[in-house]
Amino acid sequence: MMGRCTLHIALLVCFSTSALAVSYKLLGFQLRSSSLECQELLLKLNGTSKYCLKDRMNFEIPEEITKSQPFQKEEAILVILEIFQKIFDIFSRNISSTGWNETTVENLLATLHWQKEHLETILEEIMEEENFTWDNATLLHLKKYYLRIVRYLKAKEYSTCAWTVVQAEVLRDFFFLDRLINFLQN
Amino acid sequence: MFSLLGATTLVLVAGAPWTLPAAVGGINLKSPQNVEVHIIDDTFTLSWNRSDLAVGNVTFSADYQVPRNDTWLKLPGCQSITSTKCNFSSLKLNIYEEVKLRIRAEKGNDTSPWHNVDAFTPFEKAQIGPPKVHLEAEDKAIKINISPPGAKDGIMWALDSSSFTYSLAIWKNSSSAEVRTKTVYPRDKIYQLSPETTYCLKVRARLLPRKIGAYSPVHCIKTTVENKLPPPENIRIDAKNDIYVLKWDYAYENVTFQAQWLHAYFRKIPGSESGIYLIRVQASDGNTTSVWSKDKRFDPQLQSVLAPPVINMKSTNDVSLRVYISAPEESENKSVNQHYSVIYEIVFWENISNAERKTLEKRTDLTFPNLKPLTVYCAKARALTADERWNKSSIFSDPVCEKTKAGNTSKTWLIAGICVALLSIPVVSYVLKLLLRCIRYVFFPSSKPPSTIHEYLSEPPLRNLLLFTSEEQTERCFIIENTNILTAVEEPDQAGEDHKKYNSQTSQDSGNYSNEDESNGSKCGEDFPQEEAE
Repeated sequence: MMGRCTLHIALLVCFSTSALAVSYKLLGFQLRSSSLECQELLLKLNGTSKYCLKDRMNFEIPEEITKSQPFQKEEAILVILEIFQKIFDIFSRNISSTGWNETTVENLLATLHWQKEHLETILEEIMEEENFTWDNATLLHLKKYYLRIVRYLKAKEYSTCAWTVVQAEVLRDFFFLDRLINFLQN
Repeated sequence: MFSLLGATTLVLVAGAPWTLPAAVGGINLKSPQNVEVHIIDDTFTLSWNRSDLAVGNVTFSADYQVPRNDTWLKLPGCQSITSTKCNFSSLKLNIYEEVKLRIRAEKGNDTSPWHNVDAFTPFEKAQIGPPKVHLEAEDKAIKINISPPGAKDGIMWALDSSSFTYSLAIWKNSSSAEVRTKTVYPRDKIYQLSPETTYCLKVRARLLPRKIGAYSPVHCIKTTVENKLPPPENIRIDAKNDIYVLKWDYAYENVTFQAQWLHAYFRKIPGSESGIYLIRVQASDGNTTSVWSKDKRFDPQLQSVLAPPVINMKSTNDVSLRVYISAPEESENKSVNQHYSVIYEIVFWENISNAERKTLEKRTDLTFPNLKPLTVYCAKARALTADERWNKSSIFSDPVCEKTKAGNTSKTWLIAGICVALLSIPVVSYVLKLLLRCIRYVFFPSSKPPSTIHEYLSEPPLRNLLLFTSEEQTERCFIIENTNILTAVEEPDQAGEDHKKYNSQTSQDSGNYSNEDESNGSKCGEDFPQEEAE
């Protein structure tokens, strides 16, 4: 009886992992399209001005993101979700000083929100089905990095130049995000 | 010896003041036990147990240390505490960095050794507190408005306030009530409730990956009297060629409707295309209005945009039809096909009979073999997302019809087959004949000797085989010189003695003979028995 039970569970785990494996590839396709859309919208927001050069800041993006350190698929999803969540949080803040087109910003937020929700659903499923371990250090470093950005914005009182610097930084984040998405394809 | 004794006592006495207070401190003051750190939202609490021997005015003090600084700093709110817990929330820490704490007991000038708390990261240790809930009752639904846990300007969830997911437990305020749990949004409605009933609910927040918060206190509310006009039901959106049509069901007539939409993350925006929308409809008969219908989530990306594929059909020579499927033409709106892997559902039927055959294929080039010749078949295809989770499908493409060929090749094959068969019959029969002959030769030999031998044996008087004499051929020769004796040499058909007689008589002569041979008639000479036979 127990033997049969364990066999059933083993089969279920095997099939569920293979079923999830299939959707990772699809998820990768879909994440790429979202990332591309977000980058296009970000580029639409006119920004750079030479007066803002003095406000540049090194936010020290975590090394785990910049170095092409390999990630497990589940960990990659965690990190990607974190990035989408934080970028959504940043652009939900006060952008009144920028003079940016509000529709573009709302489109960006809508895309980020959609992607966030979708990833959250998938992650909840993964949490239920699998029992994988991940290294919290990467997530903590990411949170610290985004806290630096938010503190910078607050310190500069959400000025135009501060937002311009942040816009450039977030665009750079999407570049690294695309690299992370590649880990889902393998 | 006495000097030695004196020296040791001196050393002992001198040494005593060093050790004694420490010994006294060690005995009197032990460091606190079971020291724990609890963090709920922005409230940081340190708690411990007194050591058993602590008596009188014992106070406790704590220090903290951050990674970049090697010095221990005083922990605010935890200096000279008389009770067994303290609150150090006023300390502005970097919640994502590790911090070390230590605590000791103090009594006057005496202090216990430090009790070191394991290093921890505040964010990791933090627990999610209860969210704040605001309720509003309707007749068959309850509106909820959830505020995220923690203070508005708190630091713990400062960056995560929009990342919380909430789950709600609701039950009727009666005994043996069933508890229903569901995931809700910060501003949401709970439907399918009974009017004029008291419901109780509690909410908790969750932060992925692994943080689950505490439940809020239980809130109870009574639903209102049933509304005269019910809200519209079964709201759905049909997408046809990028035109979205909103449809709903309503039981009563002579009512007007009003529809509203909203972006899913609750901001007021003038039109945008991407993202999730919420749509609701309200009915009104002039005097009263119904409550708003259930919010219909509408995701344009999920709803439509899978364009139907382009299908082509060609008839091939062997009475089958080859189907080619290609991706739809590029339309202005971004097609989702390129982002998702699609499979195709192909419906294939005979034009007259309408008996359909459905297949799901990933290939874009397939053949339907073994069809009836000179018949019209039709096919149509639609695209489906390969992953069922997305569950999107396009509309069917326009059907294409094609007539199968006459199957000439089969006829020619038949004729060729017949010819081959006809040709092969004599070949086969010849081979069979040979075989039979062979078999007969081997297994059923005839008793007749071969034909050449048979010839000999068939001549009755001449049984030369038995006589064993060589055949002689002689010619009639005429001796011209010796006119006296004309001897006719005849074929020796008698015994050897006669033969000899003749020889002696004619030995002198060599005669001519009538043969046209150039050689002389030496054959007719004396040596003729030795001459070769014919």
